[in-house]
Amino acid sequence: MSRRIVQWLDNRLNLSPIRVALLDEPIPGGASWIYIFGSITLFFFLLQMVTGMFLSIYYSPSTEHAYVSIQYIMDEVEFGSFIRGLHHWGASGMMVAIGLHMLQVFLYGAYKKPRELLWVVGVVLLILTLAFGFSGYLLPWDQRAYWATQVGINMVGTLPVIGDVLIRVIRGGQNLGAMTLTRFFALHTLFLPWLLMTLVVLHLFILRRVGPAGPWDEARAARTREPFWPKQVAMDAVAIGVVFALIASLALLVPAPLSDPANPSDTSFTPVPEWYFLFYYQLLKYLEGPLEIVGTVVLPILFFLGLFALPWLDRRQGRRPVSRPIVMGAGAGFLLVVVTFLGLSFYEVASLPTSDPSVLRGTALYQELDCAGCHRIHGEGEAFAPDLSYVGDTRNRNWLFQHFRDPQAVVPDSDMPEYGLNDQELNDLTNYMLTLKR
Amino acid sequence: MNASEGEGRRTFLGWVSAAIAGAIGLVMGIPLVGYTILPALKRQKLSWHDVGPEKGLDPSSPKEMDCIHSVTDGWQKTTTKKSVWVVKDERGAMTVFSPLCTHLGCGYRWEGTQQQFYCPCHNSYFSVDGKVLEGPAPRPLDTLPAKIENGRVLVIYKEFKAGTAKKIEL
Repeated sequence: MSRRIVQWLDNRLNLSPIRVALLDEPIPGGASWIYIFGSITLFFFLLQMVTGMFLSIYYSPSTEHAYVSIQYIMDEVEFGSFIRGLHHWGASGMMVAIGLHMLQVFLYGAYKKPRELLWVVGVVLLILTLAFGFSGYLLPWDQRAYWATQVGINMVGTLPVIGDVLIRVIRGGQNLGAMTLTRFFALHTLFLPWLLMTLVVLHLFILRRVGPAGPWDEARAARTREPFWPKQVAMDAVAIGVVFALIASLALLVPAPLSDPANPSDTSFTPVPEWYFLFYYQLLKYLEGPLEIVGTVVLPILFFLGLFALPWLDRRQGRRPVSRPIVMGAGAGFLLVVVTFLGLSFYEVASLPTSDPSVLRGTALYQELDCAGCHRIHGEGEAFAPDLSYVGDTRNRNWLFQHFRDPQAVVPDSDMPEYGLNDQELNDLTNYMLTLKR
Repeated sequence: MNASEGEGRRTFLGWVSAAIAGAIGLVMGIPLVGYTILPALKRQKLSWHDVGPEKGLDPSSPKEMDCIHSVTDGWQKTTTKKSVWVVKDERGAMTVFSPLCTHLGCGYRWEGTQQQFYCPCHNSYFSVDGKVLEGPAPRPLDTLPAKIENGRVLVIYKEFKAGTAKKIEL
């Protein structure tokens, strides 16, 4: 049946040449598992696009409603937590996939003539993806989002001469607020997707014109040639299936975080950027005073200029890693710096005290109301009422909040008294309960 | 490898790709459809709203009373004010009418001199007990669940589809 439909369409639209162009591109040296990362990156982009479009059905880009709309997606909308989880973990997955893709291209010297343009467009795609990550981080409008973005934008301000103007342009005004949120939303959901899509098409177009590089061993490359379809496609598909299973499990098991609503007056919050900016964040800690500008401006510019210029810096023929010691050394050095700083940063972030003020207030409230008179947490307190040691695993935010407000409305025969807490106290107690996890 | 063996292998690899694509499509597709559709199909929990005191209701004149109720609109809670028509008959039984004409949903009013409800949009007339007297209205005025507690009139506010002979809750 499907064959007949394809035949029918082919007779009218002459599809065969397109199929040849898309699927029959010969791969020197044959299909290989080392070539899967580009397809995985593309898959992640499609996943982000689909989940992002669906998230925008319920999201509201206003400082008043952004947070509650995300809360609504997480607690009320069927599969909402799963879809947002896919988008959250998909962003991280895309970064990993891009990293591995670039590493493979770097190792194989696949950026060399005649593939310089392919590499340059790829670097632009990397920058766009980072911009996606940065602009998307603000949208939930929680404390993490607000303060991390505050820091990120202020770094731009260290640029000489144009820094001050640039900060205002990025913020959309003097302060980080409603104008910032709408521009970040527009950037994240309209401008960047179109730009990225266009460049992905260009990236693939160049790839199809110039052809994949294949193994660095030219004799091996010349020995066999295999079309993209079906073996490489099947390998890519298997890899994508595994990666998707991983991301979907993460989305189910580890919900995307949502801290307290953004509060510009609460300066006790320690902002930490998303992990893919962490090594850079760590690096900046060591560059103080006059050196700061080296970290915020000089190094990033040099880094990206170096990436763009790579095909012209490494011009010698031959793609074997052993015959390119300087480039390989530089690459390894960069990786070492990234991994070291990332490790250091993880270590420091992990040792940060739980400084969420809401959780601290909730803990105090728990003691003040003598909840331990009935409840038990890790052996402390009486056992008349349910044990709360892992209550964060079994109850969601909405349930806890409603239950504290009016226990009998949620559990009709509950003995729990109604304490008449105000919204802030209800929220604090709920936040404390949500930290009680396995 | 002979030609048919190679062809078999190619077909198999094609199936592998298609099966994985299908599985991902399914794992994504079902949640996405549910995510989009299910919240839209949820019904609001209806509750009783105090619209005013029972005292002062007069059998000869229906009274327009304000029903202020909070509506959960997704992540937004809003308070809306609707008026309802409360009628008490001679025997003391109370009826509460939805404020929307059953023809096309215009607001109607009480004409005291003619002792009729009148909808100015398309000239529908209703008697004090809601029956259609004249005009295009396809059914009597819609009654709302109502009760009296501690001297207060309580109402559940609902809306119904306009223009149908049957009363269909929206």
